[in-house]
Amino acid sequence: MAVTLTNIPAGHEFKAMSIVLDDARSRAYRDATGDTLPVYDEQSAVPPLAVAAFALGALLESVGLPPGTLHANEYVRAHQPVPAGSTVECRARVAQRSLRAGRVFVVLESEIRLDGAPAVTTRATVLCEAEAS
Amino acid sequence: MKGPEVAAVTRLLTQPMLNAYAEASGDHNPIHIDEAFARTTPMGGTIAHGMLVLSFISEMMAGAFGERWLASGSLDVRFRAPARPGDTVTARATQQEPKDGRLRYAVECVSQTGEALITGAAEVDAA
Repeated sequence: MAVTLTNIPAGHEFKAMSIVLDDARSRAYRDATGDTLPVYDEQSAVPPLAVAAFALGALLESVGLPPGTLHANEYVRAHQPVPAGSTVECRARVAQRSLRAGRVFVVLESEIRLDGAPAVTTRATVLCEAEAS
Repeated sequence: MKGPEVAAVTRLLTQPMLNAYAEASGDHNPIHIDEAFARTTPMGGTIAHGMLVLSFISEMMAGAFGERWLASGSLDVRFRAPARPGDTVTARATQQEPKDGRLRYAVECVSQTGEALITGAAEVDAA
């Protein structure tokens, strides 16, 4: 059975990941979402939600996601602006894993740090059919 | 302590937008980008990434608060229904009572039919 985000036991801590938030990637994110606000260029900053999305994307490079997995809840908190071009470190863990009504629910917590200080923290709940996990 | 009114953001979702978001974010879940696969699921077709739809709320708040949103903003939301290519999504906010030095808003994304896609709360430092 392949290792996926939804069959990893609760308490598992993923290896810390370094993520480069280069300006081109930030622009690609803003183009994809249609966000044309000037504040990011004025502040040379990456949207906080982009930081969270890039961290999730990096995690999904190391662990599979069953097809059809859905996002149920999301908490995202910014603690400081994240400059474009910076490198952040992401630490993530499976905080909870439960089985309800034939579905697996997983709570994934992550802390994204910039120069050792929290920059963005997230808590995401995803779910998939138990047989797919 | 009263925060500003927050202007709504409205965006038309398209499949190329979902594809571009998958490339930018690294989330290539086929439910978002593979129409043939998505048709075999209970969704019956591709649906937008939840984080893509949520980005409209973050954009709305960044538009109102600028750097303060980048430094102290938070979102706590539930994804209630899928958004699909062809949907027009509106993000909007209603101010709540401030608490613990934080401005608070009830936020949501709704479809063109008024269906709630995302509901939840946004907060940002009052100063």
